[in-house]
Amino acid sequence: MNPLWQTLRTGLLTRSLQNLFRLPAWAPGWPVLRPEGLSHTVRRELLELCPSVAFAEEGGEFRLDLAHCVLCGRCFQTFPQAVGELRGLEVAVTRREDLVQRVDLATGNFVDPGPPPPTRAELHLPTLAFREVSAGNTGLDDTEVALAGNPFHDMGRFGFTVVASPRHADALLVAGPVSQNMREALLRTYQATPEPKGVVAVGNEAVGGEVFAESPQVAGGVDRVLPVDVYVPGSPARPAAILHGLLLLSGRVQQMLVGGRRVRGKPEQSPKAS
Amino acid sequence: MEALKQALGSGRLVALWYDAPHLHYLVEGPEGSPLQEFQVEARGSFPSLAGEFPALDWFERELWEEHSLVPEGHPALKPLRNHCLPYPFERVEGLHEVPVGPVHAGIIEPGHFRFSVLGEKILHLELRLGYQHRGVERLFQGAGLERARLLAERAGGESVAHALAFCQAVEAALGLEVPPRARQLRRVLLELERVFGHLGHLAGLFTDIGYAYAATQVGKVRALLQGQLERLTGHRYGRNALTVGGVSFDLDPKTQLEVRGALSRLGLEAEAQLLSAFKQPMVLDRLRYVGAITPAQARWLGLVGPAARACGLGRDLRQDDGLYQPFTPVLRAGGDVLARAQVYLEEVRQGFRHLERFLTELPPGGGWVDEAGPSQEGELRTAFSRVEAGRGELFYWVRLQGRRVEQVKIVDPSFKNWRALELAVRGMGLPDFPLINKSFDLSYAGCDL
Ligand code: SF4
Repeated sequence: MNPLWQTLRTGLLTRSLQNLFRLPAWAPGWPVLRPEGLSHTVRRELLELCPSVAFAEEGGEFRLDLAHCVLCGRCFQTFPQAVGELRGLEVAVTRREDLVQRVDLATGNFVDPGPPPPTRAELHLPTLAFREVSAGNTGLDDTEVALAGNPFHDMGRFGFTVVASPRHADALLVAGPVSQNMREALLRTYQATPEPKGVVAVGNEAVGGEVFAESPQVAGGVDRVLPVDVYVPGSPARPAAILHGLLLLSGRVQQMLVGGRRVRGKPEQSPKAS
Repeated sequence: MEALKQALGSGRLVALWYDAPHLHYLVEGPEGSPLQEFQVEARGSFPSLAGEFPALDWFERELWEEHSLVPEGHPALKPLRNHCLPYPFERVEGLHEVPVGPVHAGIIEPGHFRFSVLGEKILHLELRLGYQHRGVERLFQGAGLERARLLAERAGGESVAHALAFCQAVEAALGLEVPPRARQLRRVLLELERVFGHLGHLAGLFTDIGYAYAATQVGKVRALLQGQLERLTGHRYGRNALTVGGVSFDLDPKTQLEVRGALSRLGLEAEAQLLSAFKQPMVLDRLRYVGAITPAQARWLGLVGPAARACGLGRDLRQDDGLYQPFTPVLRAGGDVLARAQVYLEEVRQGFRHLERFLTELPPGGGWVDEAGPSQEGELRTAFSRVEAGRGELFYWVRLQGRRVEQVKIVDPSFKNWRALELAVRGMGLPDFPLINKSFDLSYAGCDL
């Protein structure tokens, strides 16, 4: 095949940011609690139904931790009155609490964790170099980080590059729940990174351990080992969500989720009929 | 013991696991002969066979670590995944040592490689893995079937193959019959995952030899292929799509037609790009004679999957799968990086052909069988299953108590293939290492569990 002809035929592959942040119609979105539908029985059922233990009831609160959700879609398909669907990929946050929805059962309202802190100004740079450290992840979060550099996502257009050595990096992208065997290597990589330095936890496992949270062989999240600037949920985190996290770190976009719910942009959509 | 040795001498170890108080050796005989299972009682220790059959080395070290069973007479007993114990590297007197990892320069999982070099030439390599160890097998203990499936999807790099092997093992234990439509849809996902993986290995090889154009073109096809997998299952890697008893997605005739059309276009494009890339003298020169493994070495180490087929060892579990018939495994003789790349290339073409066939005629009916019946009782059941994943033979053994998992044994193909790297790099230059490593494309997570 003639490369020139092929290139012309292919045309432009790179998608606009807006386009990238849209979730394809066939992929399930994130669950969002609907306090009015959370009756006692429904809560029992939700706790039973979620394969990934994303729901919890404790201290008069009903919680949904997005970092434990594996996006199976079962909860909002079974109980649409109690769980809605949040579609979109701008899910990176600066605080762990902003991935947890908390409903106060006495008042039936969401607990507001307050405005999120801004990302650090010294990392608001036009270009950022990253070093990826895989610490006990399945390998798919790594793949997704690599795919964030492909022609469709093209993170290079925002000045983001992945460099070979932590000494050349401005921030670490850490994937995985931090296995005990990687703990020291991760710490040493962090020490080798010059100040100012940021840390991005990529994927549910890095955010809170997900299905590995209970294992004694893992730390159960990057923030148990290092200070984390940005959390990107997902199982694995999608390239567009990773891109959102990097843009958030560099101060170019705003955080969309607060207390696990969307505070800016379009209102939550109701679940599509299945 | 004698019968076991004889079987190992002429066949290949599939798996070795401990179901107290017995060790189970599963051995596959030469071409087409049935599997043989040997049981050896072991309490505290067992006689090591690793000296005679190196394929058992890591299995025995694993038993020592996981179950405190001492393999008596093991030639070099040292930890596999436990990093709390000291690890004595084998030193070669007078050679310079180059340590690499666990954190690598690329976007890749962690592992440590200790090279002994003379100038640029690698004379010896010792791998030390275990950095990805998350204690997956222990997390299965006591898990319900749904949760266990989530764990299986995260055990290694290939979500669909792991979920499939786990589900098949459970179905065998519970005596569930999966409806034909679900069986075929599972094969669709398995082939999509295989082609996706192989295209990734090929794009990686092109990147490593500096052929950016081909890498980008192959990467583009790969990204679009992933879009089709997502279209079918709602997940970019096909997670949550399989369930014990069947599949949890279905497709209407319109989607079926569209996906088939998109895949056949991608198939043509992948084929054209790859065939033209493999005509370039630069590509052939750069890949040929690099990182070669002989058939004898492959047999000795018990290699599986594309790595074995690139040495002319013809074993592909799809040969025994009724849905794939007629099926001829892709074989190459060279054993070098080029041979492995050609196996990937041919399997990509083969995969697209199977996808086309599977999606043309889907059996009607439901995609899921309700697991009622005997499974409800609290009785103990065990079963194993094997799946030809993109990287090779994947093995799952489960012991169920009612509908809970009591114990599992996972043998990822990478667990058997990692050591091939140690032999393949001998005599090669240090800069060739990334290329050779990429040509095997092994899963660290699947090996470390
Ligand atoms: S989508 Fe699935 S994993 Fe996520 S909270 Fe709902 S039931 Fe749990």
